[in-house]
Amino acid sequence: MTAQIATLEDMERDALTELVNIGVSRAAVSLRKMVGQHVLLSVPSLEVVSRSGAITLIREREYGQLVAVRQDFDGAFSGRALLIFPESNSLAMVRAVAGETLTVEEASAIENEALAETGNIVLNSCLATMANMLKQPLTMSLPEVIRSNGSLLFEPRRLESGGGIVLFLYINFAINNHDIRGYISMLMDLPSIQALRLLIADFIRQVMGEEI
Amino acid sequence: MAITVTEAGSATGTIIYANAAFEALTGFPAAEVMGRSDRLLHAEETDRAVLDQLHAAVAQTGAGTAEVLNRRKDGTRFWNRISVTTIRDAEGSPAFSLATLAEVTGGPPPANGHAGQQHSRPKLDEARARLRQVQVSAAAAGAWEWDIATNRLVVDARFASIYGLEPATAELPASAFFKPIHDDDRMRMRIAVAGALQGAEVFARDFRVVVGGEVRWVAARGRTYLDDEEKPLRFAGVLTDISEQRKVEERLYIAQTAGGVGSFEYLSGYGTAEVSEEFCRLLGLRPALTLPVRTINAVVHPDDEAIIQNRDGQIREGAAFHECRITRADTGEERWLASRGEYRRAVGGGVIFAGVIYDVTTIKRSEAQLRLLTESLEERVELRTQERDRVWNLSRDLLNVIGPDGLQRSVNPAWTTLLGFEASELLGSSMDALVHPDDLAIFAVHLTALRRGELTADFDIRLRSKDGTYRWVSWTAMVQDETIYGIGRDVTQRKLLEEQLRQSQKMEAVGQLTGGLAHDFNNMLTGILGGIDMARRRIQQGRLQDVDRYLDAAVTSGQRAAALTHRLLAFSRRQTLDSRPLDVSTLVRSVEDLLRRSLGERIELTIDADPDLWPALADESQLESAILNLAINARDAMPEGGQLTIRLQNAHFPPETLEAKKAIAGDFVQIRVADTGCGMPPEVLARVFDPFYTTKPVGQGTGLGLSMIYGFVQQSRGHIQIASDEGKGTAIHLLLPRYDGDLPLTREVESEPPLSGTGETVLVVEDDPAVRLIVLQSLKELGYHSIETQNGKEAVPILQSNRKIDLLVTDVGLPGLNGRQIADIGRESRPHLPVLFMTGYAMEAADQSRFLTAGMTILKKPFSVDEFGRLIAVILQRSPGESGKPGH
Repeated sequence: MTAQIATLEDMERDALTELVNIGVSRAAVSLRKMVGQHVLLSVPSLEVVSRSGAITLIREREYGQLVAVRQDFDGAFSGRALLIFPESNSLAMVRAVAGETLTVEEASAIENEALAETGNIVLNSCLATMANMLKQPLTMSLPEVIRSNGSLLFEPRRLESGGGIVLFLYINFAINNHDIRGYISMLMDLPSIQALRLLIADFIRQVMGEEI
Repeated sequence: MAITVTEAGSATGTIIYANAAFEALTGFPAAEVMGRSDRLLHAEETDRAVLDQLHAAVAQTGAGTAEVLNRRKDGTRFWNRISVTTIRDAEGSPAFSLATLAEVTGGPPPANGHAGQQHSRPKLDEARARLRQVQVSAAAAGAWEWDIATNRLVVDARFASIYGLEPATAELPASAFFKPIHDDDRMRMRIAVAGALQGAEVFARDFRVVVGGEVRWVAARGRTYLDDEEKPLRFAGVLTDISEQRKVEERLYIAQTAGGVGSFEYLSGYGTAEVSEEFCRLLGLRPALTLPVRTINAVVHPDDEAIIQNRDGQIREGAAFHECRITRADTGEERWLASRGEYRRAVGGGVIFAGVIYDVTTIKRSEAQLRLLTESLEERVELRTQERDRVWNLSRDLLNVIGPDGLQRSVNPAWTTLLGFEASELLGSSMDALVHPDDLAIFAVHLTALRRGELTADFDIRLRSKDGTYRWVSWTAMVQDETIYGIGRDVTQRKLLEEQLRQSQKMEAVGQLTGGLAHDFNNMLTGILGGIDMARRRIQQGRLQDVDRYLDAAVTSGQRAAALTHRLLAFSRRQTLDSRPLDVSTLVRSVEDLLRRSLGERIELTIDADPDLWPALADESQLESAILNLAINARDAMPEGGQLTIRLQNAHFPPETLEAKKAIAGDFVQIRVADTGCGMPPEVLARVFDPFYTTKPVGQGTGLGLSMIYGFVQQSRGHIQIASDEGKGTAIHLLLPRYDGDLPLTREVESEPPLSGTGETVLVVEDDPAVRLIVLQSLKELGYHSIETQNGKEAVPILQSNRKIDLLVTDVGLPGLNGRQIADIGRESRPHLPVLFMTGYAMEAADQSRFLTAGMTILKKPFSVDEFGRLIAVILQRSPGESGKPGH
């Protein structure tokens, strides 16, 4: 993984992956309640890349239009979070969440709404989990759905923070035996990454301190 | 892991599939259970409530897990963890249930509260032991369940086996989960498990465990179950030994990484292909397990074939290979890749294209460089050829190439410049046509030597130019592959100068000779003329007593003059040699006294003769003179005295040793005259045979000595060799041809007084009036009758007439017919006519044995009346009677 940025060590990446896993699991619980169906979410791996690296990554792996739910967050660490689906997967996602019986037209009609809600749950859970561990408040903007190819998705919140990094995670949605692939991305500037590292260090310390 | 598939729709479905692990676990063969209800595993003590719960969960959520006590075919019981998943059809209705079955050690976890252990412990242990055997061989998965509240771990037999735990360990502290984990993986696993314990629902990690010193790779797949308050309740999952799989994967990974080979697999109709990490690396893409086909093909050069082709599955089967250029996605660098793959039908329809790619840029670049090199090589060769052509065309030397057939293959323009021939006139013809007839032999010798394998040759020959004149050309030639390459330099000018130099040297020598001779002759003539003049005066004065003294003086001077001319002739190799068989040893002994006297007391003379010495064929007096001459030279070289050795021995020169020395092979009598004198420096040695070359002060030598000996030996068909070491002495070898036969016993005695004639008729042919006068007068005084003629014109009619002629006395050199021709004409009618040739100098008569036939004798001028008379008497005695009569 040569393209990764060495801002996080292996262990820190593992720990962060687990934190996000805890987060998406909480989101899955919420989704289960919401849709009354069997929902499992998991993030198998995480990559830390530059903004341009993230664009390359998504362009190589997904050909064509992407649909993303985007939310900005502020608090102990700030940045911009995205839940991204290939356009073809997003409709399947909507149907899985909103019900198998929907026609394609019906699904299209509520697509943005359903995506925004799903994204909100997933992203909120992830970030909240992290913030809770830090015992720090975190505010989040309203979710917005954007369609774009890679470059537009990863535009930074503020022009001056163009040099930030992107935490890039795969996310697998298992909803009613449908497997839907997607990505979670978090754009953060360096101070936020530093704050995040403190959180991670805490988590590791906690794990190590446990006498099991 | 034991798996069954049952028809959905009923709580107790019909089994439509069971795998081998199922048989291993339950003892029921798959064939036996097909079509039967899955209830066949249930025993009377199986907890129905748990089963109901399971069925309810499956009906509601499509999945469920329960642990129940089941029975095997042989009746033994085991705790079975059943996990059921519903498989739905296209409409979303449940179609099948997929169940996994695994034996759980120590009964249901306490959290579940379904203890219900009602069977005897020993029986269970026995079952477990048996099961373990089966599971080890079946590579079944081991299961664990981690109760988060109590932090206790429950594992089944297989898990225990993988973890190296006692099978009986029913309940463990949770920390046991980490105990055997490899140090390098422990940290990562603690973090991962921490995530699971804190609510991360999906758990999937591969890690190493070390059991009994052996490292095994295991895959852990688990779930975290939450309680009603969404709090993590338990963390359960299965553990599989994937060491073998991992080993294969690692080998494959190493093979791909080390070999730079990336693999891919594509099923027709899909938008993505499965790829390996190395595949991504080769294209400059970020590592991924699947990539869109468009991403893969986008890096390929637009003019080249794509990596993933045949997306519609048109090609059903067969191998595929192609090369293409790519632009690496990361660096933009252009590389060459080769793709080798295979199309095969997929089981579920469609076509699978699986294959590998690898980088061939280096090879391609080498090829390109090689091509470039080849092209530039051609250019360079062309350039070289031009350069060579320029040399060929501009050279003033003759350049040519002669093929193995001896014909000229190519000639350069210098041939036209020098000889005037156009190249077309020379090509395809032999050089022989141009070579001077006298040089053909030399040319042939060198050509043969070249063909025989001598690599180079240097020789000078004359070549005819178109206008008929000859040019001297000095050739350097070499041979390669039977082809001769020649370079000829025009040395005509040099040859001309050399010839001029030789001529001037000759003229100089002749001048020297003439001057010396004139001086000597003037002295002798003074003696002769003065003597005669004084005699005449004394006769006029009547003082006859003094006449003899003056005439003797005149005769002595005349004899000296005769000796000088003789030596001159010897030097010019035109003397008349009287080569006869002779015993050299006797000859040397006969002059020994004379030699000792000449050498003086300070020089010790040794004569060493081979007792079996062969007779030699040579002129006795010349040989005598030569030996004396050499002895005198040796004496002069030893003014302080020394040793002179004359050694006589037989010598044989085989032909091969003599070729280079230009000598004739055969048997020789060798006369070695060696002194211990001052020797000669090389520059003197090189000139010793040159005429008039002398190291002696003026007046002490004529410089003719050695050159005369050289002439004599050469003319006798012998050899002369000289070796000299400055300060040590000189050795001269005279080699005279062996006479193959016996020596004549005695020689004719020449001291008898002249016999008077008895009126025999002698025909005299002599053009010199003075000689003719003396001859006629002598004959008259000797009592012969003579007929006087001046030449052949006068003599021939007389010879052809009937006149009585007893002897023909003729000069050899005559105007018109020479003496020998006259003799031949005379012999036509008078076959036994004796002939006496008189000669002062005659090339034809230089070798008597060749010149004369029977009844012919030669008399060297000058001669005395006595000598003349004795000879005539001898001739006429030899052929008494019929001598003078004509034959017809």
